[in-house]
Amino acid sequence: MDLTIILQQLVNGVSLGSLYGLVAIGYTMVYGVIRLINFAHGDIMMVGMYFAFTGIAMMFLPWWAAFLLSMLASALVGVIVDRVAYKPLRNASRISALITAIGVSFFLENSFLVIYGGVPKAFPIPSVFNGAINIHSVIFPNIAIITPIVAIVFLLILLFILHKTKYGMAMRALSFDIDTVRIMGINVDLVISLVFALGSFLAALGGIFWAMRYPAINPLIGIMPGLKAFAAAVLGGIGSVTGAALGGFIIGVTEILVVALFPALAGYKDAFAFLFLIFVLLFKPTGILGEDLERGRF
Amino acid sequence: MKIDRNNILTILAILVFFLFVWWGSNHLTAYAVRVWEDTLIFLMLSAGYNLINGVTGQFSLEPNGFVAIGAYVTAILILTPAQKESMFIIEPMVPWLANLHMSFLPALIIGGIVTAFVGFLLGFPVFRVRGDYLAIVTLGFGLTIRVVSNNTITITNGSLGLKGLPTYTNIWWCAVWAVIAMIVIMRIVDSAFGRAMKAVRDDEDAAIAMGINTLWIKQIAFVTAAFFEGVGGGLLASLITIISPTVFTFFLTFELLIIIVVGGLGSMTGTALATVVVVWGSELLRVVEQPMNIFGLHIPGIPGMRMVVFSILLIIMMIFAREGIMGQKEFSWDWIFNKIKGKRA
Amino acid sequence: MSEVILKCDKLTMRFGGLTAVRDFSIEIKEHMIFGLIGPNGAGKTTAFNMITGNLTPTEGKIHFYGQDITGLKPYKIVSLGMARTFQNIRLFSNLSVLGNVLTGFHHKLKYNLIDAILRTPRFYKYENEMKEAGMALLESVRLADKADFKASELPYGERRKVEIARALATGPKLLLLDEPAAGMNPQETLDLMYFIREIKDKFNLTVFLIEHDMKFVMNLCETIAVLDHGVKIAEGKPEEIRTNPDVIKAYLGDINA
Repeated sequence: MDLTIILQQLVNGVSLGSLYGLVAIGYTMVYGVIRLINFAHGDIMMVGMYFAFTGIAMMFLPWWAAFLLSMLASALVGVIVDRVAYKPLRNASRISALITAIGVSFFLENSFLVIYGGVPKAFPIPSVFNGAINIHSVIFPNIAIITPIVAIVFLLILLFILHKTKYGMAMRALSFDIDTVRIMGINVDLVISLVFALGSFLAALGGIFWAMRYPAINPLIGIMPGLKAFAAAVLGGIGSVTGAALGGFIIGVTEILVVALFPALAGYKDAFAFLFLIFVLLFKPTGILGEDLERGRF
Repeated sequence: MKIDRNNILTILAILVFFLFVWWGSNHLTAYAVRVWEDTLIFLMLSAGYNLINGVTGQFSLEPNGFVAIGAYVTAILILTPAQKESMFIIEPMVPWLANLHMSFLPALIIGGIVTAFVGFLLGFPVFRVRGDYLAIVTLGFGLTIRVVSNNTITITNGSLGLKGLPTYTNIWWCAVWAVIAMIVIMRIVDSAFGRAMKAVRDDEDAAIAMGINTLWIKQIAFVTAAFFEGVGGGLLASLITIISPTVFTFFLTFELLIIIVVGGLGSMTGTALATVVVVWGSELLRVVEQPMNIFGLHIPGIPGMRMVVFSILLIIMMIFAREGIMGQKEFSWDWIFNKIKGKRA
Repeated sequence: MSEVILKCDKLTMRFGGLTAVRDFSIEIKEHMIFGLIGPNGAGKTTAFNMITGNLTPTEGKIHFYGQDITGLKPYKIVSLGMARTFQNIRLFSNLSVLGNVLTGFHHKLKYNLIDAILRTPRFYKYENEMKEAGMALLESVRLADKADFKASELPYGERRKVEIARALATGPKLLLLDEPAAGMNPQETLDLMYFIREIKDKFNLTVFLIEHDMKFVMNLCETIAVLDHGVKIAEGKPEEIRTNPDVIKAYLGDINA
């Protein structure tokens, strides 16, 4: 295989990985503050795709407005999900909350099935994202270049929020000690809602770019990338935002490269992330950048 | 003698149940019989699932994977060599499987044993993690089984699946297996092994401190569940006659999860009640997905609506009625007699 | 001279860069009540967890009745005759009091899964035997009338006794108690003291306990070791410990901090 193809695949992998990373951030942040694997997070991706689809194809909004509105609306969906389904279970066992999350996941998938039908919809790709550029006779699709840039820009914005704003710092503090945050006079529920809002906002962003990559969308489309993003979050070290982004890149690049190098294994690509996950959990349960959040259970 | 009385009552109850099966197989409509077959298979599946999730407290999401394994193994064993040859059109089946053929009962049992063995192997890595991580890892297993069955074309016929399975499954097969599963599982629960499982659920570290090999206890629950889910898969395969990688999805696990939550995590009798309620409720809800004509007004069917109802039901259960119908309690003869006598249960 | 049954030889436990316990050596002789005390965070529970097998020491050896048990799995150590309780009582809250005690018999279970499924005579024989033994044990700790109560329904002091009874069911020669008096009022503490003496004689036990409550330890234990910042700073009879300047400093330091 020549270098051009490897380079193309690498860019492709980074692009895919940055999508996993965007979604993984939501898993990791929610887990950080309320120790819940938000099963419905992958479905928020799907919600984002359908909202953007509705904005462009049915309301004829300019693409940027449709994207932004979709992300904001998805953030709202995330917050509502937390308030309605998870908040009543804050003091229940973690398993109860997890079962509820599975319920929410099925609810989102099937309500969108009811609303939009099961037939895949063609996602309208704005012309900016179509086409390809040619660098030294190597062809890169625009979308593959734009995706990681967008992802990194939003990651930087998120890191700024987490480290420089009062509520961002409260989010980080919440991962360690809910009571201290409460004493500091910060509204814990508000902070948790903000975490859901930010996570869902980024998941919708990931979803929209996913839809431009694979433009046939259906109500179950969020499941697979959602699970892989979760694997990425664990790989990066659950609770760590940069870890989640890093984990996403690793899983995306590995997936693309393994398929490129061993085409015979292409059929198994959806199982890779899980082998990764099991491997990480067995040998380094804290992930690459994470702290051992499970220790508290002992 | 208390124990004798309870045994006699249990035997009587089972006889009454089989009497109902006999009556039903002669007098119920084909549709009703079919729903009862589903109910009984689901009873076996969810009893096994509740053993690991409810009794042992190891929240896992693998049943669809186990059911798929049992279904494939049984299907491969009951298909005739001629059927297999005509079906495997992408690539021929591996010869030692292509010529294997046996009757239903050994096929079911082998399906169960193979699934139990896979469960046993799977148990070692997955039980190194606890809690919600276990859920995700086992979910990944179910998914991996689907990917594997899609790709091992010389064994499973890939995405084309297996068709034209002989229809051996009838209500008697389902009833007998459901009764066996319930008896075996309830006896395990009501023994030192069941106590150890509940100990693991309540406090794993304390269970270890009692000298209990908790990995082993989890394995007993997991392998038992896998066996019955494998057999259930075999029964389902012969009932639906067509299996493919997309038949046994996470949706199946979700249905079982609803059943054990509604029945009460850890209660087998609760599971039995809930299976009837959920499977029949699900059939009644089918109405909302079918087009209707009311006074000339045409209402189109709404696919997905049933699941919307079910997921809302599950969320509401978790928020307001986490204990389900039975909590962790069991319906028992002693309990009834104590109720009658007005004694403390 | 009675036999040394537990011997810890230079146990060291490091977590990353932090040394929780350093060069911890003790010898516990048969039939004694041995106390390990120390200010909060001194490494008492870490030392305990190394002995029970919950932690594998970074360095050092543990011998139990002459057998090297370093790094053995906790459930294996239990079957050798060592049982423990937890600082924050950890009963199986959904099992009955009797059910809790019966779990202690599990490691010497005399029937197998097939017996349980087929309900063989062996199953009934040993199941009844276990239940009788469990009741007898509850009888001897005066909890027989509570046998059918859910563990979570009992008051605190009785929960502690159930936890100890459950540990006794495993048939220990050495009983390890992790802060047994924690959370108890003075009367309950006094009761517990008599209770521990009583079961020690009745079950022919050696008792090793860690405790925060000085008075409790001083009145109960024959030998006391003191741990401070992961290091053993003293060992001796209660009166020696009471007057040991290092111990006083460690505890006063704790009060000032």
